[in-house]
Amino acid sequence: MDADGAAIGALLCSGLTVARGRAPVLRGVELEIPSGTRTALVGPSGAGKTTLLRAIAGLQPVQSGTIELGGQRVDGLPAHRRGCAVVFQEPRLLPHLDAAENVAFSLRTAGVRRVERRSRAAALLGDVGLDGFGRRRVGELSGGEQQRIALARALCAEPQLLLLDEPFSAVDANRREELRALLVALQQERRLTTLFVTHDRGEAAQLGERVALMLEGRIIQHDEPSVLFERPSSPIVARFFGSSNILRGVIRAGAITLGQCTIPAPGPDGEACLTIRPERVILARDGPLELQVLETTYTGTHTRLRLGSGDLALVATVAPSLAPAAGAHVRVELPIEDLWRIPLAHEAGEVPAQEWDLT
Amino acid sequence: MAPAVLVTVVLFGGALLGAVKQSVEPSLGGGPSTWNLDSWRTLLASPGFLDALRFSAQLALIASVLAASLAVAVAVALRSHGRLVRSAFSLPVPVPHLLVAVVAFMWLSPGGLAQRALGRLPLRLVHDPLGLGVILVYVYKETPFLVLLLLAVMGSTLREREEAAAVFGASPFRVLIWVVWPVIRRPLLIGTMIVAAFVFGAFEVPLVLGPNYPLTLASYALQAQQKSPLRGQGVAAASLLVAAGMSILIAAAVMRLARTADA
Repeated sequence: MDADGAAIGALLCSGLTVARGRAPVLRGVELEIPSGTRTALVGPSGAGKTTLLRAIAGLQPVQSGTIELGGQRVDGLPAHRRGCAVVFQEPRLLPHLDAAENVAFSLRTAGVRRVERRSRAAALLGDVGLDGFGRRRVGELSGGEQQRIALARALCAEPQLLLLDEPFSAVDANRREELRALLVALQQERRLTTLFVTHDRGEAAQLGERVALMLEGRIIQHDEPSVLFERPSSPIVARFFGSSNILRGVIRAGAITLGQCTIPAPGPDGEACLTIRPERVILARDGPLELQVLETTYTGTHTRLRLGSGDLALVATVAPSLAPAAGAHVRVELPIEDLWRIPLAHEAGEVPAQEWDLT
Repeated sequence: MAPAVLVTVVLFGGALLGAVKQSVEPSLGGGPSTWNLDSWRTLLASPGFLDALRFSAQLALIASVLAASLAVAVAVALRSHGRLVRSAFSLPVPVPHLLVAVVAFMWLSPGGLAQRALGRLPLRLVHDPLGLGVILVYVYKETPFLVLLLLAVMGSTLREREEAAAVFGASPFRVLIWVVWPVIRRPLLIGTMIVAAFVFGAFEVPLVLGPNYPLTLASYALQAQQKSPLRGQGVAAASLLVAAGMSILIAAAVMRLARTADA
């Protein structure tokens, strides 16, 4: 607890290894979350995100490594003594208790009297927008309401660390936006150290002050969201965050030759792997690259263009009203300030997983 | 009326009505010629009947409580095991009670297989006045039945709720009391009621392993019928009606308890 009584604790995971049978799930995970901050853990299905969260919460035995919370090692402690609170993918409420008793469950385990715990639960129900819901049975609540109760239950525990495992994935899109905003507001107000698991890169960027990308049981890159989106450490990170434009070549005198054309490129001379986000690719009448539109896909908010010429392939996104037709020839500009040169040591997304390590 | 209820009412109600009729009918052995309560008077005045009632209640209570307690412990231990272990444990369920009783007799009777293997038995389990052998057989037979009922409700959803309770500070004991018990309480109570009612009215296991005195209610009825095929029919019917009435009372009490517990 800090001076204001708020529960805060930094998380430090070192060399965390978890195996299921003989198959490794976590391969020496290193993760640090400063106290009072919000980190989104993102990755594809099967990357080990939920396993890491469960290991931190004490629900999954670890083979090796350490977990420190607020400077204290907790990896030897059972789940009920770790001081974490978890909001799971499903609300996991107790159906024989009403909403208030579910919210105040941690107070019940702490021996707090019924009158006091119901009063604190009522206040928290108000915080999550469910004023007056205390006596409702779980079966009477919608999925979104149940998830709000689960969030209130987690807040009621005043945890050192708040863990959330894709908590809004079963909620409809509009409610999800509301819940994300609510979560951020409550986290900032209470300065809770928070780890949010998601497979949605957009949600990760929206919710995480920092984002950690996990692939095949390792944290591949951990930084501010804009860094992962715009300055990925490897082609595979670039692809995960939506930039499939990977351009290979040799930079000579500040320029790189792509197809028949030479364009300005960042960095010193030498072999290079460049990436540029699709939304930074500009369709310009005087652009240096001439490409054909191979495919157009309307996505609702923009149109995605697949462009190509010979070996050169690019993806660009444009406003639907500006989208050229498939088969059209367009000129393209790749602004040098938007080109990111992926560090060579990590540029090969095709290399074995162990070479992804950034440390 | 639902077809299942109709079948139950016709079969169970018809049998009960038949027994009531038989218990008040004029005796075929030359007794009063109009309907009367002589069989009931004979039954209620018989010390053997009162002892049988007490003995049946004692067997039903002890066997069902022991089976229920064991079932909770076994179900908690078995839930993390695979289908093979669960199936192995549920093997006694389809085996007939009489077969288990006969096998138990062969093993546990004086001079039986257990005595020959071990030299001596620490307890008398066959024809003992406390009915220990009878209780043992019912616990062996009914525990797996109750375990199956419990495992059916102890699925992955319950485990998820247990995990949630644990991360919010509940120790394993509190998880059992606050999370698992509310889920298993109802099937356990209903299953235990079925076991108690079954043991209360059963006769085959007490006939093989039970004492000569006191008898169970069903054995008492059988004996009354065998002793006097003409006059004993009314007494047997009356004694079986008492057994049925007691079973209905147990069922009603347990259902009420289950409802109270759920509220």
